[in-house]
Amino acid sequence: MAYSSERSQEARRGFLDPRTKLALVLILALFVMGGLGGEALRSIKTVLSALPFALLLVERQGKRFLRGVLMLAVGYGLLFALPYLPGVLNFIALMCGGILTRFVVTVVMGEYLIASTSVSEFISAMERLHMPQAVTIPMSVMFRLFPTIGAEWRSIRRAMRMRGIHLGGAKGTQVLEYQLVPMMTSTVRIGEELSASALTRGLGGPVRRTNICRIGFRAQDCVLLAGCLFVIAVWILEICGVALW
Amino acid sequence: MKTDNKLKGRDLINVGIYGAIYFVILFAVAMLGMIPIFLPLLSVLVPILGGIPFMLFLTKVKKPGMIFIFAMIMGILMLLTGMGPWPLLTCAVAGLLAELCFKSGAYKSAKKAVLSYGLFSMWIFGNYLPLFTDYEGYFAQRADYGEAYISAVQKLMPLWMAPVLLIACFVCGILGGLLGRALLKKHFEKAGLA
Repeated sequence: MAYSSERSQEARRGFLDPRTKLALVLILALFVMGGLGGEALRSIKTVLSALPFALLLVERQGKRFLRGVLMLAVGYGLLFALPYLPGVLNFIALMCGGILTRFVVTVVMGEYLIASTSVSEFISAMERLHMPQAVTIPMSVMFRLFPTIGAEWRSIRRAMRMRGIHLGGAKGTQVLEYQLVPMMTSTVRIGEELSASALTRGLGGPVRRTNICRIGFRAQDCVLLAGCLFVIAVWILEICGVALW
Repeated sequence: MKTDNKLKGRDLINVGIYGAIYFVILFAVAMLGMIPIFLPLLSVLVPILGGIPFMLFLTKVKKPGMIFIFAMIMGILMLLTGMGPWPLLTCAVAGLLAELCFKSGAYKSAKKAVLSYGLFSMWIFGNYLPLFTDYEGYFAQRADYGEAYISAVQKLMPLWMAPVLLIACFVCGILGGLLGRALLKKHFEKAGLA
């Protein structure tokens, strides 16, 4: 099995340490999505927005990369076409374009985080950060479940569509009951099985768990963490009124 | 026994499972916020739809701390998805209130459960706070959304909307709790989940 030897662990090791990934997510969330910082950070923000895409390429996640680029292209295309569109279409274009361009960076970063981090790596990183279990366990369960919920949701929607239950369909009003409820039921079932398996392997036990995952900071982590510190430094300087350029 | 009140692995995993469902619903609905008319309506839709997983979650809550952790996790996720630090604060307050409320019903009272979800839902107000605390700055930041979007939002969200939204969160939380209970009875108990 892939998990059995130290060497195969080394081969599976991601490009970045999970802690670096978390720091990047936080910086992206605060500065790109949350809009902290003003003019001085504008060019930095562009670099930051490109970062998740570059990381996906490094991890050889070509499909996800292309999907992200496509979303971005469609979003900007719509915003660009905005002035030429009539009333209602204009509105729809603004909405879709706004959603795509605004959320795409977070979505891509989230995808990168989930696709490139195994739950063990995540837990081991959180342990080294001395996070309490009350945070670590729910968070790792959530990260594990998001893709599952997505898959369940898609197949339930497909099944219900066959029975004419979808938004805009003949029984559109029943969407809530016949799509949401089964989605939750199956997610909870899956979750319970997961929880049984995790408990068997000693998650949440009184003793500190050991972990075979190799994590640790390497050169690329140091560079990116230094980048994060740099962004924060520029931001603080800007608040203090020091103009860098 | 005293040790019975300590949170164990299974409880924390339950927080994760229901938290994941709640967050997915929240995120899907939040996308609608791009349409101006839906921005204030988020305080109606999120509590109502989120009531279903939350009421299911409350059937698993038997020990103090779980609701508070659930709320804090939501706050952390809001921080990570770019809503800023405000939701963390409201999550802490709303989570604590919800926790105390459900606790006063010995973690089984159905009425307290609904009320507790109403209190919990008030954390959503934290997502609006940046708009109201820095009215001008908020719109300056979103200048690239276009004139039409901004003027529409400004019309929909005058300052006096702040308390209205808070109350809407609470009232719709109660409604969502009732809806959740109804579905619980109709579906989840049959499926052996509640």
